Amino acid sequence: MKCFIVMGLLLSASLAQANPALLKDYEQQARQANPAFAGFAAERGKALYFRESSASGKPMQCATCHSSDPRQPGKTPAFRPIEPLAPAVTPTRFTDSKKVEKWFRRNCDDVLKRECTAQEKGDFISWIVTVK
Amino acid sequence: MTWTRAPIFLLAMTLCSSLAYADDDDHHHGYGKRPKQLSVGQAPAVWKTECASCHMAYPPGLLPAAAWQQQMDTLKSHYGSNATLDKKDEQAIRTFLAAASAVNRLPLEPSRKAGEPPRITTTTWFVRKHDEVRAEVWRRQSVGSAANCLACHSGAEKGDFDEDRVKIPR
Repeated sequence: MKCFIVMGLLLSASLAQANPALLKDYEQQARQANPAFAGFAAERGKALYFRESSASGKPMQCATCHSSDPRQPGKTPAFRPIEPLAPAVTPTRFTDSKKVEKWFRRNCDDVLKRECTAQEKGDFISWIVTVK
Repeated sequence: MTWTRAPIFLLAMTLCSSLAYADDDDHHHGYGKRPKQLSVGQAPAVWKTECASCHMAYPPGLLPAAAWQQQMDTLKSHYGSNATLDKKDEQAIRTFLAAASAVNRLPLEPSRKAGEPPRITTTTWFVRKHDEVRAEVWRRQSVGSAANCLACHSGAEKGDFDEDRVKIPR
């Protein structure tokens, strides 16, 4: 029993703080979109971050602006610095659902020329909170 | 006009034309319109957060109101990026931009690239002001491009582009 408590504590300690309501919302939406929804996977989230797409006309990834190491600052195409995406480095990341939704809306369109699905958003958040 | 009045008239004319340029440091005349009022007064917080996260906060005085309207009408494809806003923020920013650019009489100059809204960096005034900057300077790592005013104009976001304070990085 003690073992499980310790493991539980270690697990929660290893996750950077994102707003848990965020993941709950995406889970709900993902389930609605797909009754066979089987949970979020950090591995898929990581793959999404590095997936190169030429849908916009030039090859781009999320990593293009947010850096291949999300603990590092990124840079916009107009040379503005972007605070690191990883909540472990920037604790305010993924806490404000309005802000999160706005940037998913804009940036998924920028890279993929479409909206990201709730599945993709949940997968991504599941990954980014583990990046230390 | 009598001989005694002409000199006074001439003096008055000279004073008037030099006063007309008191609001910026550009002492050339006859080169076309230039911005009036580059200083940014009370700007809504939403303008700073939404319009200055990907690039510097360009003082609205740099473009005519009609150009800002075109920007705001094409946010879904803002020079290739999606810069869409929620309705309330969009309205607040439209109002601010229109008011903050109302005092200038800049011409509306379309972008050189079809399908994009006017670019500050290709306006006649901008090109003239930067005509001594060699092409190599824009490409420096420390500068990036002409869109990055802050590289050389540290006071740019306050509308301060004073030539005396320009520092071009190596």
